[in-house]
Amino acid sequence: MKKQLSRRTLLRGAVGVGIGLPLLEAMLPRTAHGATTTAPRRIIFVFQANGDQTKRRFIDTGETSFTFDEFLAPLEPYRKDLLLLNRLDRRYGKFASGERSDGHQQGGASLAPWKSGSGAFPIGGADRTIGYVTGPSADHEIGARVLKDNPGVSTRHLVFRVNTRENNIWAVSSHAGPAGQQNPVNPETDPYNAYASLFSEVSSDPAVAAALAKRIAMKQSALDNAVGEISSLRAKLGTGDQQRLDQHTQALRDIERSLSATASNAACAPVPFAGPKLNVFEDGNHVELGQLFFKVSAWALACDKTRSVNFNWSGNTSNRVYSNLGLTDGHHDISHISDDDAFAKVRMIHKHLWQQSVTLHDLLKATPDGPGGTLWDNTLVVHWNELGQGDAHSENDALVVLAGGAGGHFKMGRLIDFQNQASFADMLVSCFHYMGYEDVMSFGDPLLNSGGPLPNLKA
Amino acid sequence: MSNGSDSASGASGASGIEGKTPEEILASDACKAPAPGRAPLRRMSNAEYRNTMLDLLGDSPTNQSLVATATRTFPSETESLGFRNNADYLGVSTLVAQGYVDAAEQFLEPIASNSSFLSCSPSAGAEMDCARTFIANFGKRAFRRPLTADESTQYAAIFQKSLSAYDFQSAVRATAFAFLQSPKFLYRVEFGAAPSGTTTRPSPYEMANRLSYLFWQSMPDQSLFDAAESDQLATPAQVEAQARRMLQSPKASRLLEYFDQWLGTDTLPTTFTRDATVYPGLDPNLIPLLQQETRSFVSSVLARPDGNLTELFTAPYTFANASLAKHYGLSGPAGSDFVRVEAPGRAGVLTQGMMLARDKPTRTSIVRRGLKVRLDVLCELVPAPPPNVNLTLDTSDTSSLTQRQRLEQHRVSPSCSGCHSLMDPVGVVFEGFDAVGRQRTADEHGATVDTTSTIEHTVDANGPVSTPAQLGEKLGQSEEVRSCYVTKSFRFFYGRDTDATADACSLAQLSQSFKGKAYSLSELLVALTQTDAFLYLPVRSSEAP
Repeated sequence: MKKQLSRRTLLRGAVGVGIGLPLLEAMLPRTAHGATTTAPRRIIFVFQANGDQTKRRFIDTGETSFTFDEFLAPLEPYRKDLLLLNRLDRRYGKFASGERSDGHQQGGASLAPWKSGSGAFPIGGADRTIGYVTGPSADHEIGARVLKDNPGVSTRHLVFRVNTRENNIWAVSSHAGPAGQQNPVNPETDPYNAYASLFSEVSSDPAVAAALAKRIAMKQSALDNAVGEISSLRAKLGTGDQQRLDQHTQALRDIERSLSATASNAACAPVPFAGPKLNVFEDGNHVELGQLFFKVSAWALACDKTRSVNFNWSGNTSNRVYSNLGLTDGHHDISHISDDDAFAKVRMIHKHLWQQSVTLHDLLKATPDGPGGTLWDNTLVVHWNELGQGDAHSENDALVVLAGGAGGHFKMGRLIDFQNQASFADMLVSCFHYMGYEDVMSFGDPLLNSGGPLPNLKA
Repeated sequence: MSNGSDSASGASGASGIEGKTPEEILASDACKAPAPGRAPLRRMSNAEYRNTMLDLLGDSPTNQSLVATATRTFPSETESLGFRNNADYLGVSTLVAQGYVDAAEQFLEPIASNSSFLSCSPSAGAEMDCARTFIANFGKRAFRRPLTADESTQYAAIFQKSLSAYDFQSAVRATAFAFLQSPKFLYRVEFGAAPSGTTTRPSPYEMANRLSYLFWQSMPDQSLFDAAESDQLATPAQVEAQARRMLQSPKASRLLEYFDQWLGTDTLPTTFTRDATVYPGLDPNLIPLLQQETRSFVSSVLARPDGNLTELFTAPYTFANASLAKHYGLSGPAGSDFVRVEAPGRAGVLTQGMMLARDKPTRTSIVRRGLKVRLDVLCELVPAPPPNVNLTLDTSDTSSLTQRQRLEQHRVSPSCSGCHSLMDPVGVVFEGFDAVGRQRTADEHGATVDTTSTIEHTVDANGPVSTPAQLGEKLGQSEEVRSCYVTKSFRFFYGRDTDATADACSLAQLSQSFKGKAYSLSELLVALTQTDAFLYLPVRSSEAP
């Protein structure tokens, strides 16, 4: 294994630089993907809520001559690396009424295009409760495939959400499945905790290193023990309990995998966050917390801890009050109104969120990756929303913005208007293909798929 | 985690028992033999984990602070039907498991330095003898039952392995750490006393755990351990005696978690956003004050055997300290302690934080207040609003109308009236309270509020009302509401949804007891220990669902 910089060295080298600074290249985990081969592909899903105003997305919708209207204008500097997928249809109207939740809830599970179960919420169903969707999301399944194929990658996926505590049908976009099971993945809401979980202490001091090794040994022993106990318990229990115990076993294996990675690849530890620690549930920290999550994401990708990230500015149906923009009503409440004043506010919120989201692009562009390149070259950012037109709660008219170099997989710099003739789930199939999993021809319920990736996307 | 298809709402009803009285159900063949329903493996909720750890380490300010800090990043549990402790949704994801690993490291020092666990000093070469004492002492507390011989051997091996590599103190910590990652610590594992046939009683220690987690949301105390050891938890009367003892303990305040989650006051930190220009000068601690108000009020109702459901919804008094009294404009309370204060016009929990949980930043929400009563007090299902609905009523061309009048206008539309006739007539009754819980006679626009209403579309709470207390009186006397309260209690305290068929006997037992005790809230808690669901469990089988 190539000698890498210790964190102590890194900290010395980092004196006098800000927190947004690119990683030192020598710190990057070359061993994870070979010293000279091309960098691996990564994917980041970025969510913002409540739909938008479809007719104000673009002024010109020409494939290459497209021009952004006001709220998408923050994307303009990145246009050569964008593939704008306009008017995709989620198609969940094909589900029977008892098999789907409302537009927000079902649309909020667009990354997991499965039927909804029952048992979680008394709102949404006409004559029965509504549950979470009954299958995994793309960020989870892509991450699972990456883990299977890459022993050096420690973490299946990272799931982040800013600010909100509650984990309910409106707030969770990632699901673990497997097909047939409700299994929402409750996101990390604390970027500091995310950092600590991914990047452990590293030291060239033998005493400190020995103490870390001892802690790792203690954890490995306890996790082995727990896995064994779960296995013997499992044999005596019914199916529902077994499913939960299987999930627990998987979680323990995940942690064991991270511990092994820590032991073998400890040096890839970026600079801890500078500045005073922010309250992660203080609404006023919304933007700053998002930026911290972006940094953790970029570092985790750069260190090849994971290749799949699911980031959420909020849950779906978010009723956050964007008081920083001078608004007094909640985002969701505003989004229901069909007058000009409300649309102006919706556009203001979206423009604000797009301005924040594109800082992820800048961060990826500033982070070295692969021979002479940056993370941007090898990452696909998938910007999405649970609705199309906000006030109409439309399941069609979805806008998905693909961004990044994405390893040259897509022919970027274009707008494609699918006129609601292609499905959101097909777009997820395209994501699998981008990640190298071209055997995937359908993802989620067959009713939501066309049987292949979106046409006309590839370079 | 959840099959998604196995859930039958107790409220919706879908079996042959529909329409039967509790007495008829209990007299039917279905209830001749114990019918406990499901007993899924229950992972500790976050609150249960915190309480358990505190009781394990010893309740002290230092340990309270330690536990709070160490568990701060635990992700909030997946919500189901208003509660965050449904066993079917309480799994251990990677994030949860990582939380358990990180938290446990913080507890190793206090465990290793606790002489009730580690009561010996090892002599060189005889460390294992001392370790066995530690494993027996700590293991019994962590697993909440004595260890089996195999388990003692298993944990001794963990100790030995660490001892070989490091030293005695490290090995003690490694062993304690392993206990805290064990599924036998993190879940309540029950196999029953006699695992044959179709139903069985819980073992004595399993019953001790059922009791302690119901009343204290935590592990058993020494009395329960002793009772389990001497097999004194076998009869319903023995169980009831323990229940009554436990209700009197200060630790019973932990079951207020049920009320926090049921009424939604636990979500106030997220839902209660108020515009500072419309509501200037609010106490910066208003949210915790509102939460404490409900906790203090409910505690006082629970403390009296005659504290009943009607009082919960009608009490013309509340609990406040000086800060909350000032906010409400009530006189009396002077210090920081919450004391009972007369509050004419108020109606128990209906006019406390619960009422405010879904209001808007700049105004009350008649619809959402009504919705909350429909969902949480009446246990009804409400369809989602249709798309393309204007949710904000503050449009300038109708600004001369009150919120009530605007809602009345839109209820003329057939697509709106179906659902809004469920919600609005309930919500308008609360218009005498603003969006921060203060009494008022004029609304946000200066128009005089009108709280007269006629409740419709309930089973037995219809009719004219004009105050929250009158509404509360109707709710408190309603069989629909009583049945809902029983269902909510079942869901939270048994950690699972009701099944209209499989749980029919237990639900009927609860309803009958509730009625027999004049709808006493504390007596219903005791009754929860006397059902088939509590006194029995199905025999485990790996083939069973």
